[in-house]
Amino acid sequence: MRVSTSWMQQQSVNTMMDRQADLSDIQTQMGTGKRINQPSDDPVGAARALELTHLDADATQYQRNIASANARLGLEDQILGSAGDVLGRVRTLLLQGMNASQTDESRSDIAAEIVQLRGQLLGMANSRDAQGDYIFAGNRTGTQPFVSQAGGVSYLGDAGQRMVAAGPGLQVATGDPGSAVFMDIPTGNGSFAVSAAAANAGSAVAGATSVTDTGAWDGGSYQITFTAADAYEVRDGNGTLVGGGSYDTEKGGTVAFRGVQVAFSGAPAAGDRFAVVPSPKQSVFDTLDGIIATLRQPDGGGADMQNALNGQLANLDQAVGSLTRARAAVGARMNALDQQGSLNDDLTLQYKTALSNVQDLDYYDAVSRLSLQSSALQAAQQTYSKLQTMSLFDYLR
Amino acid sequence: MADLLSTGVSGLLAAQLGLSTTGHNVSNVNTDGYSRQQVSFAARAPQPQGRYYVGTGVDTVAVQRAYSQHLSAALWSAASAQGRANAYQALTDQLNNQLSGSSNLQSSLDTFFGAVQDVANAPGDASARGVLLARAGALASTFRALSGQFDSLGGQVQRQLTDTVDSINSDSAAIAKLNERIRGSTGAQPSDLLDQRDALIKKLAGEVGISVVAQNDGTLSVFVGNGQALVTGTQSHPLATAQNAYDATRLEVIGKDDGTVLSGRIGGGTLGALLDFRSNVLDPAQNQLGRAALALADAFNAQHAQGVDLNGRLGGDFFAVAGPAVQASSANTGSATVSAGVVDVGALGDQDYLLAYDGSAWSLRDTSGAAVPMGGSGTAADPFIAGGLSFVVAGGAAAAGDSFRIQPTRNAASGIGVAITDPSRIAAAAPLTGSAAGGNTGTAGVGALTVADGGDPDLFTASSIVFSSTTSYSIDGGPAQTFTPGTPIVHNGWSLTLDGAPAAGDGFTVQANADARGDNANALKLGAVAELGVLDGGATSVGRAYGQLVGQVGTAGALADDDAKTQTAVFNQAMTAQQSVAGVNIDEEAANLVRFQQAYQASAQVISAANTVFNALLGAFKG
Repeated sequence: MRVSTSWMQQQSVNTMMDRQADLSDIQTQMGTGKRINQPSDDPVGAARALELTHLDADATQYQRNIASANARLGLEDQILGSAGDVLGRVRTLLLQGMNASQTDESRSDIAAEIVQLRGQLLGMANSRDAQGDYIFAGNRTGTQPFVSQAGGVSYLGDAGQRMVAAGPGLQVATGDPGSAVFMDIPTGNGSFAVSAAAANAGSAVAGATSVTDTGAWDGGSYQITFTAADAYEVRDGNGTLVGGGSYDTEKGGTVAFRGVQVAFSGAPAAGDRFAVVPSPKQSVFDTLDGIIATLRQPDGGGADMQNALNGQLANLDQAVGSLTRARAAVGARMNALDQQGSLNDDLTLQYKTALSNVQDLDYYDAVSRLSLQSSALQAAQQTYSKLQTMSLFDYLR
Repeated sequence: MADLLSTGVSGLLAAQLGLSTTGHNVSNVNTDGYSRQQVSFAARAPQPQGRYYVGTGVDTVAVQRAYSQHLSAALWSAASAQGRANAYQALTDQLNNQLSGSSNLQSSLDTFFGAVQDVANAPGDASARGVLLARAGALASTFRALSGQFDSLGGQVQRQLTDTVDSINSDSAAIAKLNERIRGSTGAQPSDLLDQRDALIKKLAGEVGISVVAQNDGTLSVFVGNGQALVTGTQSHPLATAQNAYDATRLEVIGKDDGTVLSGRIGGGTLGALLDFRSNVLDPAQNQLGRAALALADAFNAQHAQGVDLNGRLGGDFFAVAGPAVQASSANTGSATVSAGVVDVGALGDQDYLLAYDGSAWSLRDTSGAAVPMGGSGTAADPFIAGGLSFVVAGGAAAAGDSFRIQPTRNAASGIGVAITDPSRIAAAAPLTGSAAGGNTGTAGVGALTVADGGDPDLFTASSIVFSSTTSYSIDGGPAQTFTPGTPIVHNGWSLTLDGAPAAGDGFTVQANADARGDNANALKLGAVAELGVLDGGATSVGRAYGQLVGQVGTAGALADDDAKTQTAVFNQAMTAQQSVAGVNIDEEAANLVRFQQAYQASAQVISAANTVFNALLGAFKG
């Protein structure tokens, strides 16, 4: 077959240019470290790489969210802890104040310290975070939530709870509204509270209360009346008799009815009455105000003060319980965030590995292709130079 | 006796001609399109000498070019295919480069939605809000930048279109001129003119797909598309570019003589590649990008309207985006106007539509020409509905043959912007809050509480719902209404869904979420828009739509790369075959040179021999 001289030269040149283009491709790949430098290099891989980059960015953002949530929750945890300490101190003081050896003056001193502690607690409830947002204001983070007014502390926040996206489909609360932590705290034992009638003449004091049979307890209001120093009866709101029995004035005794029991000590006078009502809700500040007011009563130390302080102690324990529960919930959330965080870390690693598999260059492969292509280019160059020196004209002299 | 001298002279002349032809071949070894020429010789008619004939030398019969009609035709068709493949590859490569560049839409989207999450983390923080607006601006400008790159590529296609048409016109004019000279040449073939014409046809084939028909008078007629003549005999028929009937900025290729629009009927060559690329790669890519922009704006704005900003006002549009473009044909004679709107982003495709009136009814066709069924009657109250779009025909009467082109998403990406500038206008909070009364005994809680009508003047008025039985409730002491579990309660522009079952006596309150600068409920939902399936009937998120675009453009690029390699190989094959017949081989010419040189020397010897013989004869007489 005839080969045209100029076409043969052109083809040799074309071959060399093709090899050089291949080399330049490999050079780009090795320079960027990427196998896919534009979508046409691997359309499916390019789309997949976008998807993986997106998932990776998502996981990174979730980590940012978790960090911000942890900061908020950590602050809340710290404040709840300090508030718990304050209430613990109040409890110690209250127990001291209940001691029979106290005088009016010493109780007044104790009350004065509790006033200080109340102020401290109010300050904590009005804490702000780094951005100046009130932590316990629900969603009204720009409004001071707890304001001391005549008649107690009122709550100006709302019941909103801020959530954070910690993972795909997972939202975790990053705060608690102050209303749930400081305001709406059940009194008494959480189910009911016992209070002595003001006109009581005896020295009977209502002590520990409990619900022994939740099935039998109906949440109603009852009246325990000592018909004599050693006998009592229990009537419901309609005056219907629901129980009764005898009472040992020496050893004290337990009044039980409708699945609840109330321990009494001391000697009641005939006609002394104790009311059993379902727990109303009361703020921790009201509880402290109640304690302070009781301790400041003149000529204190009697059964009426004991009864009142016993009731306040139960309320205080409920407030401590409310803080503890809130703190436990914060801990559980931080735990959940940590778990989600390590899951996100795992996912990030997985996405990065997958992304690397999709778009990164295999350098061993690239280097071997580089040497293959450069030998091919050398061969093409050598062939060209050989062919160019061969002409019949050289021999016709 | 034969004349030895004249025999020798004939050989001498033949060898001379052979030498000069060989010289011509050698000189043209690098001439593009040159076909090597051959001299054919024949023995002269012999002189009868009684019982035998005596030879009288050689005659030169012809000087011809080595040529094969079918190999040349194969080469032209390969040149067309290669011209198309190379131009197409260059264009898709450019588009691919643009998508792989720094203006990566996916990372802009990720950064933007990350900023939304940051606002959710600190809804009252002015700096987080400011960053969100900045990121939104960056995202919008990425859309616009990509769209701008596509536009500039479109502009480049237009310029190349004009240049290619000019080049085609000058080539066909040159071919017509050569036809004239070739027809005028008498007798023998003017090989070099034929070569020139063939080379021009090969060049023309690279510019546009052509068919070539040989005429009896030696001229060649050239046609493009389905029968549009470029050259007939000695006449050339130029092409031209003209404005598209719907879009004055878009150029179409027409036949200059009669104005026929040829775009869409031309295949092959650079011109075919340009038209193909524009309608099959660039237009869909622009539409896809616009679709993603429209979907983002639509979904984000819808969620943004469900929230309130720091000032307690309902969220307005967050992104501003251009709606569908409607362009009337320049050939319309009626006075009707058409407006189009998007009714369902999820149903939007990436094609354009043509709405045409046939004198009695309107009909809709997509880019491929397939009819699309429409619902509705085209009035403002009952618009035509098709493909997620609504069309309203207004103005005067339409005339038969009037048509409008609708590009649903073409301008969305180029016109997207951020509609709000004040960071406090970001609606991160829920507008309303619902709560169950403390003494409720049923299991019902407040589920979804959404804004159904942001324009209701009583939207933020507090309302209380009281259930008189498990299936009946009244609002603010109003008339009793029937409650169906799972069906939302709608009042004052809000819509409340209860989870669980309410009991008789249960109460619920809905009121404005006043002063809730720390609420991030709507910001969280805005963040979830990133993963929301808003396109293709809820199957495709905005990010995935961009992934589809990249996949589509990448595939077009990969196919174009492969095609360019294949067509180059085919072209090389055709060229090798054609050159094996017509190409000049230097070694062969060297051998021919030696051959004719020797023949010349030998013929000179014959003349010298004739002289010797003649001298010998003269000497005998002197003797």
